[in-house]
Amino acid sequence: MRRALVGVLLALALAIGGCGGGDGGSGDATTSSTSGDAAAGPPLRMGTKNFPEAVLLGELYSQALRAKGVRVVLKPNIGSSEIIHEALTGGALDIYPEYIGVLLSEVANDRSRPGDPRAAYRAAKAFEERNGFTLLGMTPFSDSNALAVTPEFAREHDLRTIADLRRVPGTVRIGAPPEFATRFEGLVGLRQRYGLRNVHTTALAIGRQYAALDAGRVDAAAVFTTDGQLSRKRYVLLEDPRGVFAAQHVAPVVSRAALRAHGPQLTQVADAVSRRLTAPAMRRMNAALVLEGREPRAVADEFLRQAKLK
Amino acid sequence: MRRTLRTPITTRVVLLSATASVLVGTVLVVLIVAVTGQRDAARSAFRSQEALTAGNQLEKSLITIENGLRGFVASGSRSRERFLQPATRALAAYPRDLRRLEGLVADDPGQQERVDRIAVAIDDYVRLWARPLIELGKTRPAAARSVVVTNGGRERLDEINRQFGSLFARERQVIRSREDRAEQRSARAIAFGVGGLVLVLVLTVAVTMYLRRAVVRPVVTVAEATGRLASGELSARVPIERHDELGDLARGFNAMADSLEQNRAELERSNAELLRSNAELDQFASVTSHDLQAPLTTISMYAELIERRHAADLNGGIALVDGIRTATQEARTLIRDLLEYSRAGRRPLTLEEVPAGELVGRALEALAGPVAAAQAQVTVDALPVVTADRASVTRVFQNLVGNAVKFTADRPPEVAIGAERDGRMWRFWVRDNGIGMDPADAERIFVPFKRLHGEEAYPGTGIGLAICERIVTQHGGRIWVTSTPGAGSEFSFTLPAAEA
Repeated sequence: MRRALVGVLLALALAIGGCGGGDGGSGDATTSSTSGDAAAGPPLRMGTKNFPEAVLLGELYSQALRAKGVRVVLKPNIGSSEIIHEALTGGALDIYPEYIGVLLSEVANDRSRPGDPRAAYRAAKAFEERNGFTLLGMTPFSDSNALAVTPEFAREHDLRTIADLRRVPGTVRIGAPPEFATRFEGLVGLRQRYGLRNVHTTALAIGRQYAALDAGRVDAAAVFTTDGQLSRKRYVLLEDPRGVFAAQHVAPVVSRAALRAHGPQLTQVADAVSRRLTAPAMRRMNAALVLEGREPRAVADEFLRQAKLK
Repeated sequence: MRRTLRTPITTRVVLLSATASVLVGTVLVVLIVAVTGQRDAARSAFRSQEALTAGNQLEKSLITIENGLRGFVASGSRSRERFLQPATRALAAYPRDLRRLEGLVADDPGQQERVDRIAVAIDDYVRLWARPLIELGKTRPAAARSVVVTNGGRERLDEINRQFGSLFARERQVIRSREDRAEQRSARAIAFGVGGLVLVLVLTVAVTMYLRRAVVRPVVTVAEATGRLASGELSARVPIERHDELGDLARGFNAMADSLEQNRAELERSNAELLRSNAELDQFASVTSHDLQAPLTTISMYAELIERRHAADLNGGIALVDGIRTATQEARTLIRDLLEYSRAGRRPLTLEEVPAGELVGRALEALAGPVAAAQAQVTVDALPVVTADRASVTRVFQNLVGNAVKFTADRPPEVAIGAERDGRMWRFWVRDNGIGMDPADAERIFVPFKRLHGEEAYPGTGIGLAICERIVTQHGGRIWVTSTPGAGSEFSFTLPAAEA
């Protein structure tokens, strides 16, 4: 049954590839030459976290890999880092794109919070390699957590940094994904680093917090710096001078077994995709998803074609 | 018998039977097909029901897993493990239900695809949600709680539920359409079966009526005609209106009746002729013997006159005259017997009820001389009363007893007379221990003037038994003899018993 699903996806991928016409010709030739070898082993099981940008990343990596003849089963929308990493280590997945900062703080439970992204990457990679996994290349973009408020709210309380929230009278309601309440990059860090006592969270699905903010149901929102909504400049991001929210570059976490099974091609393709994922590119694509309501698959396909990765 | 051009009855009956058989067979086949269809429908409906049950069981297992998971993750207490137990059991059990479901829809590609998708979704739910969450709950309960509230599992289950919904809807549709089809088919089959049965019934009635008209009625007609023919109505005929076996039968019957009637007519004619010539012969014998009496008497008288008046003149010629007298006497005896024979059977009988013993007594009186001469011992049993002509039957006894004492062997003659009841008749017998006769002669001795022995050995005209036969026959009885040569004979004759 899984084979059938793979077949459908493969056919779809080939169909999409075929639509590309002349410019994808050379890519298709290599596809057909390598797919025979790749078809021998089990397909690569790729998962994604449960928000639009994560799903988009899954589409980007999987489509690029399929274009090179690697059979991929994509399992989007699995959940937060806590659960998807558990699925990975439990053997239900081979690979998923993860944010380095979250990986360190929430999975590796490393609260040292290295300031340098490369140091963070090295620490995270070292952690994964202790457990039979590893990280592939890191993206240029970083999708950090941040707190956003409306310009009106900022003006009213003269807010510039997170620390300024202490001056807000009463309770500050932060709209955030559920895991925000238990993460260091969330209430835990805010309380520790900024001594915020007057904040509590309202659990919202990722992406819903902007609407809640607009409607006044929450005072602040936990957002990602690459959110498409931010490209319209209608929100004020509070500065984080005490470094609760770490840099969040993305790198695929992959099992060594899968890496061995699929060879150097996996690394090459994934790294090639990662290198193209800059912050503006991501914000543009996120806007297409969230604001224009386009499908992650179509958005990823368009980007990969433009980048000659497909 | 002439072959007819029309289809014979045999062929027609065979054709009708064959048609009826084919009809019944067709009805049977249709009914069997309907029953089979019904059974197939029931079986597949049962299969579909099984599939629904398996699906429901799967859904229940998933809900058990999800609820156990949430209970396990949400409760902080030490007793949280107990939430996990039903979930763990359900996790171990669901693959079996899934395989069962896959097996049950294996005959429907569309449903198979749906089940495949459901299987992937369930697999994802278990491997990408339930199991990781359990692991997380064991090491980091707080993180697990934050994951649970995202409702990822619920969403997956909702999706699975939705897919089950479409699977069930399709399965129910399949059941309904199968049932509809089976119902339609069975309704059609019942209509067909009832129609067929009615047709068979009509055909049976038609065949019966046809057989009555075509076979039974003609046969009855012929049978009635045969009855009439048997009871003497020789003009009985059957109308010939057919050109088949029964027509042949009717024609055969008529031909037989024709020839019978013709034969009968001929017989009657020749019989009448015989009677007439017999009567003439009797008349002739009677007239002749009567007319011969007078000249013989004259001859005898003249011979006596010659003897009386001219005995001296004749010298030795007297012996010749004696010869004439003796011969004349014999001729008179012969003529008397002949006359008696010709009268016997022609003279009207005077029938009365008379004790046979009386008749025997008279006969023995008449025979007293010969009986005494032969020194015969005659025993007479008790005899019944019969309806008879006294003189005639006395004559019969007289002749039979006379013969018995005449044809004696070289031992003292013994004659026994008796009778026994034989239906409406009495059989009388006259038994002797005389010379007897060859059984081959038993018939001949009743013919007039038929003698078995020479006149010298046993005198007589040889007409006595012929007279007996005529008398007995005239009484409606018959006469016969059984005998052993040298040991004796037993003459029997029957006479009607007196009216009680």
